[in-house]
Amino acid sequence: MSYFDNKVPPKREDRLKAVIAHNDSICGLALKARGGKGCLIDDGDRGFTQGTICLLLPALAMLNSLPDNVVLLHSALGCGSCTHSQNANVRMGSNARWGKAKDGVWLSTALDETDVISGGEDKLARAIIEADRRYRPASITIVAGCVPGIIGDDIDGVAQRLQPQVSAKLLPVHCEGFKTKIWATAYDAVYHTIGRNLLEEKGVTDYAPQDEFEVLREQERLAKTVNLMNVSSMGRVDEQELERLLESLGLEVNVFPVFAHPDSFVKATRAALSISTCPTHDDYFLGYLEERFGVPSIIKHMPIGIENTSLWIRDVARVFGFEEQAERLIASEEAELKASLEEFRPLFEGQKVFVSAGEFRALATARLLQEIGLEVVGIRSFHHDHFAEVEYDKLAREAKSDYVVDIANVQPFEEANLLNRLKPDLFLGHANGNMTAAKLGIPTHVIYNTGLAYIGYRGVYEIARRLHRQLSNPAYNRNLAENLKLPYRDSWYQAEPFSYLNTRGRSVNE
Amino acid sequence: MSENFVERARYLCSLGGAAATVTALPGGVPILHSASGCAGNFAWTQNGGSGLQVGGYCGSLTVPSSNIGETEVVFGGEERLREQIASTLKVMHGGLYVVVTGCVPEVIGDDIFAVVNDFRSEGVSIIGAATGGFRGDSYWGYDLVLQALVKDYLAKGIEKAKGRVNLWGVVPYMDPFWRGNLEGARRLLELIGLEVNSFFTPADTLEGIQAAASAELNIVASDLYGQGAARLFEEKHGTPFVTAPLPIGVSASEEFLRQVGAALSLDEGLVERVIAREKKEYYQILDPLTDCYNDLDLQRYAVVVGDANYAVALTRFLADDLGWLPALTVVTDRVQESEQSAIAGRVGQLASGFATNVVFESDGSQVLGHLNRVWPQPAGQKYYNSFSPAFVVGSSLERELALQIGAPHLSVSFPVANRAVLDRGYTGFRGGLRLAEDLFGAIVVNR
Repeated sequence: MSYFDNKVPPKREDRLKAVIAHNDSICGLALKARGGKGCLIDDGDRGFTQGTICLLLPALAMLNSLPDNVVLLHSALGCGSCTHSQNANVRMGSNARWGKAKDGVWLSTALDETDVISGGEDKLARAIIEADRRYRPASITIVAGCVPGIIGDDIDGVAQRLQPQVSAKLLPVHCEGFKTKIWATAYDAVYHTIGRNLLEEKGVTDYAPQDEFEVLREQERLAKTVNLMNVSSMGRVDEQELERLLESLGLEVNVFPVFAHPDSFVKATRAALSISTCPTHDDYFLGYLEERFGVPSIIKHMPIGIENTSLWIRDVARVFGFEEQAERLIASEEAELKASLEEFRPLFEGQKVFVSAGEFRALATARLLQEIGLEVVGIRSFHHDHFAEVEYDKLAREAKSDYVVDIANVQPFEEANLLNRLKPDLFLGHANGNMTAAKLGIPTHVIYNTGLAYIGYRGVYEIARRLHRQLSNPAYNRNLAENLKLPYRDSWYQAEPFSYLNTRGRSVNE
Repeated sequence: MSENFVERARYLCSLGGAAATVTALPGGVPILHSASGCAGNFAWTQNGGSGLQVGGYCGSLTVPSSNIGETEVVFGGEERLREQIASTLKVMHGGLYVVVTGCVPEVIGDDIFAVVNDFRSEGVSIIGAATGGFRGDSYWGYDLVLQALVKDYLAKGIEKAKGRVNLWGVVPYMDPFWRGNLEGARRLLELIGLEVNSFFTPADTLEGIQAAASAELNIVASDLYGQGAARLFEEKHGTPFVTAPLPIGVSASEEFLRQVGAALSLDEGLVERVIAREKKEYYQILDPLTDCYNDLDLQRYAVVVGDANYAVALTRFLADDLGWLPALTVVTDRVQESEQSAIAGRVGQLASGFATNVVFESDGSQVLGHLNRVWPQPAGQKYYNSFSPAFVVGSSLERELALQIGAPHLSVSFPVANRAVLDRGYTGFRGGLRLAEDLFGAIVVNR
């Protein structure tokens, strides 16, 4: 039985044994990986926690990007208001692809006290019908937040019941925030609805070309078409870099699923290969595409950094027997890039850097930073699972010291403590995760922003260029540090940074 | 307006408004008792709607949060909250800790006040407010935090001090211009000799807030926001309140001063002297614009879209101060019918004599439909009195409307995604000049 036969995807704690509260070091993690123990690290809890995001936010980042889609949040009023920020990505993304900036459309059933008592299914049903009539979208994604998860509204049942009455494709998505601590489950939640609702009914069978020549052409094309998975952490500029590299190998690229029209999703089931840029994003769905539609996939390296980009290209080339072409491409790209980076090296050499983001992003970026001459002195990953072991190994090989790895779903208090001890010269963090370092006076750059380039060889150069800018004049952050205080007690900076981490078998809070 | 959904809500839930409000208090540390994602959702919302303002002393993802999950849904979250408060006191430095709740603990029935009161009885500066997201919007969350302050933080039984007032009605971050607007309104009141406690600006202190019951009057610069707290304040501390519209520009500021002056029985001569002096200055500054205002034909028809505060204040400013023609005013809050007439009445009788049309519509995509009803499209006639030249004053979501009707546009009301705001404000005489600058600037930007 496939996971996709169930209404709700499993959470990652169960499926991948992913953890979010752990203190380790780069060598410790690499050792565990090599020892074949996989991800059998005890997970824990914290006795002090700060706010973070839930799976609803990354899920909406994907859903809001879908053209001709209405996002209908079934929850209390506030859930999904994050779209006010994601809307910038929707506008820039549509402008980059179609030359026209367009706002997303998102609605809320705004469950109130009455609905909490008497249930919200009827309200949801009326909202679906009205949204279908008013906006005439190709799809309506019905996204459940915490409240329906507790009061027991059946969004799948409502969608199934109403589907015959509306013209939009109804896509229920489960984002009940309290149900999982690993918000990467967001990707599974969205892919789950795509897998259940958008692929199966069309499948491979109803493609009926007119004549034999066209059949041949189509077969030839499909034999070279690859799905390039983007769950919204890459902007158009990064897609273009990967398209450039893949096309120079003679491949045709189908970027999927962000900014992809629901009708075009079926194309994904006929490709020759699916290529992930990040195992944290795609493993759940690629397993399904392979199992059900026979589309093989590669899910290993993230094409961030020189070595990783080259490894990523080699893996793809091997599938098609393009190894020689790939080696020529890699050699010329690497030579050109490395020569261009020389200009920045003098300022980078020996500078210490702390990296913080989603696990794979943080690790691949840390590797990139090593490659351009910086010394990594600490990493904070939002969660940990076994996919990253290959990256820990790469980093450990090049590490100058056995530095700390903090597994934490944000938790800036641990970061403030660590940064105060390590005093890095540079910090890279996830969006909305840079203010701690900034207020400590550390030059800071964002590790993820869909308007900027990060991926491939071009990404390496652009990151280096931006970091060079930051280091050339860190006055903004220095001024902040001289005049602002973080909200932590002085005693907190003296305390052990993992004081509030209770892993199993560890004493409480001491 | 839809009965079944809210389109692109221009606010957050009550928890979102409450958390932002606590963040804006001097030394305020919010403690969220909620699922883990609420804080991130608010941070991203402000990131995209509050004129690039996220964070503050203890905001964004820094806020302590109990991050309750399935375990607490089954077994209750009070023990987790107790642990979280105890550890927060050890890690975070704050002047006032405020526990605010999200949907999950409220649905499962956690009694946060039992937990909060245990800490209070040990002398901890902590209060709580039940702000579960399904209770209402962020403006109501602001009101709930003020109510908690009134009930559990303000010193009781203190003597009223002559000339001391509290100023409410401007909601931090939900009004991206909150700092500037509070400061502008405070300066107005200071002009007539009052001592103003505005709660959220760098000039305010927790000591001042704790002594807020010494005020002889509460001034609520909003028909909706902070009204509940003002009523509770009167009941608990015997301080009356006046409700005034957000005083943007010269006409509204004049009336604001007269209204407050009358409520406090201030010397009328003093109030009039102040008004005369400020108006003289205002028009002296406006004077050099006159040639261009006329030469460039800067008078505009206008559509105003905004929350209950801005929709009224902007309409009035455009009509009475600038001499524009705001033919359609759209209030995007979900205002109960019983409260609609008070808001509509504010622009029902404009001093300029210009008559606007007020619509209560929470769905911004419906504004064009309302405009077409108010100002019908041409039916092929040769001569047609068109809705042009026009201007759209609203939020950044009105950019598409502005494109459709070919008008320049300025984002003032939440969400403001396309402007950076620090301390710019539109209240007071000077605020009116700022707004005029921004409006005219948007018209001539390509000149």
